[in-house]
This record gives sequence, C-alpha cells and structure tokens, in this order.
Amino acid sequence: MKSLKLNIGKKLDRRQFLKASGLASAALGSAGLGFFGYEAGKDPESYSGWENFEGANQTFNRKRKSVDQPTYEKVGSATRPDARTEVIFQRRSLFMRQWKDESGLEGMDDYLQEYYRNKPEDLELDLYSMKELMPKLMADSRKYRDKFLLANAWSNAMGAVSPRPINEPPEKSDFPSQRRFGGPTEPAKMKSPELTSKLIKKVAHALGSTLVGIAKLNPDWVYLYPMRGRGFEPNEPIEVPKHWQYAIAVGTPMSWDPMYANPNYGTSNDAYSRSRIIAFRLASFIKQLGYAARPHTPGTSYDLMVPPILVDAGLGEQGRPSIVITPELGNNFRPAIITTNLPLKPDKPIDFGVQRFCKTCKICAENCPSGAISFGDKVEVRGYLRYQVDTAKCLNFWNSTLGSMGCRLCVAVCPYTRKANWLHKAALKVSVNDPTGIADWALTGLQKRFYPGPDPQKYYMPSLGGENASYRKPPWWLRAEDFIES
Amino acid sequence: MNFFNSGLFWFIEGIFACLVVIGLKIWMEDRGIPMPFWKWLLFGLWVLFFGFTIAFIGTNIGENEAAAAVKGGILFGLISVILGVGLWRLLLIRPKTK
Repeated sequence: MKSLKLNIGKKLDRRQFLKASGLASAALGSAGLGFFGYEAGKDPESYSGWENFEGANQTFNRKRKSVDQPTYEKVGSATRPDARTEVIFQRRSLFMRQWKDESGLEGMDDYLQEYYRNKPEDLELDLYSMKELMPKLMADSRKYRDKFLLANAWSNAMGAVSPRPINEPPEKSDFPSQRRFGGPTEPAKMKSPELTSKLIKKVAHALGSTLVGIAKLNPDWVYLYPMRGRGFEPNEPIEVPKHWQYAIAVGTPMSWDPMYANPNYGTSNDAYSRSRIIAFRLASFIKQLGYAARPHTPGTSYDLMVPPILVDAGLGEQGRPSIVITPELGNNFRPAIITTNLPLKPDKPIDFGVQRFCKTCKICAENCPSGAISFGDKVEVRGYLRYQVDTAKCLNFWNSTLGSMGCRLCVAVCPYTRKANWLHKAALKVSVNDPTGIADWALTGLQKRFYPGPDPQKYYMPSLGGENASYRKPPWWLRAEDFIES
Repeated sequence: MNFFNSGLFWFIEGIFACLVVIGLKIWMEDRGIPMPFWKWLLFGLWVLFFGFTIAFIGTNIGENEAAAAVKGGILFGLISVILGVGLWRLLLIRPKTK
C-alpha cells in the first residue's frame, strides 16, 4: 500500500497531473456535449410554442432580409378569387348540398356549373369523395374509433371555444359601437403610425400571438364572392370596403408533438382556436380606440386570402405547399388577419431564401400521399405566379384518414418546421446566409436521409390499403390504447 | 432551464477546454514536438467538429430521432475519426534535424 502511494506520488508531478487532467477533461467535456445535445433535443422550450408569450419567439432579424417587393411575382392582370368555387371547403359544401344524381350539373347554381364545366377533374374528385370516400370513412371510423379517441377528443377540446360568428356587413360589424363596447365612437388621435404599429404588435404578442406583422391591404386578395354579412350569392361582385386599409397578421403554432404525429394524431384546432381568439381580442382592442376592425379567422371565417397577406406583412414566404413558411415556425402555424383603418406603418416583405429552397427541395411533394402538391414549377394563378396545390385531392386525403380533421404532413416534413434548438437554428442560419445554394442542397439531402417518414401510402386508412400510419409516433398522452380498454 | 442549458455548464466546459489545451501543450513539450499556431488552429477546428458530432447525436436522441442519431453518428463520427487520425499524424511532425 505504501509503495503504491509512493508510486502515485512519484508519477503525479505537476506536469503529469496536468496531462492527466487534460485527458480527463476531454472525456468529461465530450460527455457534457452529449448531454447538452440530449437536453437541447427534448427541451420543451424548443417546441416553438405559443406558450412563450409576448414575442419571445419572434426571433428572426427580419430587417436584414427585408425586401421592397414581395417574393411572389405578378405576371398578368390580377383577378380576385371567387371563394365559392376556389376555396375547396366552400365548394365541397355547396356540392354536397346541391348535387342530385338525377339532375347532375343542371341542378346546380350557375357559377358552380360553369366552374365544373371548366374543371371536370374537380367534379370527378368531388363526386368520388361523396360517393366512395365518405362511406368508406364512416365504416373505418366505426371500426377504428377507439384508436383515435384521444386525438379526436383533444382536437374537439381545442375547437370548443369560439367567438360569435360575424353575420353583419363590414360597415356595421367592423365599427365600434358605444352601446356594445362602451368605448369612444370617435377615433383616438394616434401620435404616429410607427408608434401605433409598435403598440399593436406588443398587444398582439401579449395576447399570445407568436408572430405578428402588418401589411397595407392589397385588394387583389379580397374575395370577389362571398363576404360575411353581404350574402353568399349577391348579384354583383363585392366591393372591397374602403376602411380595409391595413391588414394585421397574427399566428400561433400547432402543438409540437401531435403535429409531428400527423396525419392521424395532429389537429389544426389548437392553433386555429388560439389565433381566432387573439384576432377577435385584437379587433376589440382596436375598436376601443375608435377604429374599424374585422377579424378573419380560421377555419373558414375569412373574406380574403391569407397567405399573400402574410407575405406582404413580412412574416414569411409562400412555399411549394402553397402555405406560408416563416423563419421561426416553418409552416407549423395557423394565422388570422384583422383588417382595419387604424393608421399603421406596414412591415416590409422578407426574402430568406424559401423560393430557391422550395424549387429543389420537394420533400413535401414526395411525402404528400394524395399527390396534391406539385413537383413542377410555379404556374400563373389569377395573375400571380405560385405553386399550384390540388385542393380537391388534398381534401380527399383528409377524408382518407381517421385522425382528427386533416393531414398537415406538408407541415411536419418541411425542413423549415423544426424545433428551435441549436442544431436546427444553425441549419437555418447557414441556409439563409448562403447565396450559392450549396447549403440548401446539402441540408435537403441530409433531411431526406436522416429524417425519413413512412411510405406515403401507409398513411391511408385500412379500407384504402393503408395502415393508419403517422409521420412520427404519437405523444404518450394521445395513445388511446394505453388509457382506454378496447 | 436545466443544467446542460445553463451558463454554468458552458463555464465548466470552458474549464475542461483549457485543461485539454494545457495538457496537450505539456504532452507535446515533453516529447519535443513544436506546436505552431496552425497546429492549434487545426486542432481547434477538429475539436469543434468532434463536439458537433457528439452534440448532434445527443440532440437527435433527445428529439426521438434515433435514425438520425445513428446515421449522423456514423457519418460525422467516421469523418471525425479520419480527420482525427490525419490531424494526429500532423501534430506529431517534428522539425527535421541535421
């Protein structure tokens, strides 16, 4: 024992000790980095969630990437959209009500007849949904109901609270009323649009909005038909109300773990509900200042197209799946818009490389089970170039799965939709600041090889040959089999 | 906020890094191998890449992305080993004596 001590004492002189410490430090430091990574990977704060209030998650330095012109391109004369036919939810709903086998197209409203004559492929898809898909969905839903009971319960819970729908015309419902709101009917004299914008953004963040931006409203984005409070089928195209001068865009993300288990366990209802309530509250705040405000909220209570407004407001860029991709949340968010005459200073659009990235990435198109997302280049839609999404195919896939309302696979697989930890933040930084496109190419390649999903056909319900698959495993609290006896 | 996301963690990592540098310096001195700035630079870059590899694996395990952890671990780990062996041979170069 004594000789051992002496040996150690002899070996561990100062230099020996420092060398041994260096070796031990290398091992401990490496282990520490591994644990750091592990904690960063599972840290709930990296979930890009709305829970971080008051703007803490709107982190991207937009000034560095701001541009004078938005990244969409106007190539022809713009026409406003007829939401009755071009918004799939409205068209499908009209189709279900008006289609009769005995009269066919002849029994439908003129504008629907015209639409289907111009787009017979959509008639085929709408008919397929009604006659084949829905009966199969009903049968499979009964069979596998228990498996998705918690996911559906969660979705319904998030959608359970909803403000009263707006049924009055804009000139009535948008303006403050002394009786109803108790605030001033004369507009408050605001010191400057800059200050007002700062105030509105702070309030939106304080209300729980993760993202907020402001745009001058481009009338091209307002529906030609219909408008809440103006009837569904007016004789003339609806004029854009004069007091819709600015658009405030707000957005909140969908909860991370369910979103990553799309299509069967995710839901849009959580972000829908949060954004809806924020928009109604912000509209109320503006009305209290004596100005007009109208919330346009998800799921379908819009009088305008939302994605281009988000682009105008500098929140992000419209990507291949047609929805907007933001630097902070990717496309994992659901927006709402407030139109107002409150004088504001609009934000500038941003260009952080999405157009270039989406041109070559195509991960969303590869993973889209329905083939709704195009592999091709942009096409002209109502005077603007954009990637075309076949919304009828998209909705038909929604009705080919048993989970809670919808699909959102294009959200889950998008390389921009990643947790806000060091790894993905670094990847975003590299991609955004590389002018050559090499980083995009490398990151897309790594994404495809490192984070693959199941074969897209497995997402379908069993009666359509699928396996009820999800992109990733559902979170423990949505696995019904662990809580409910079958 | 847990320990591994805290400032204290990075402070301790910094101490470890200093000890590694001191240890390497003494080890090289004892063997009479000079360490010019370019060797330190290459060593620093390799440490950064190796650290990235370890943290990449840990992060993907934390994210429940086991496939990415394994594939990334193999790819970046292999690159680390190859670069590490090359670097080690470079570090051991002694000046030619007549």
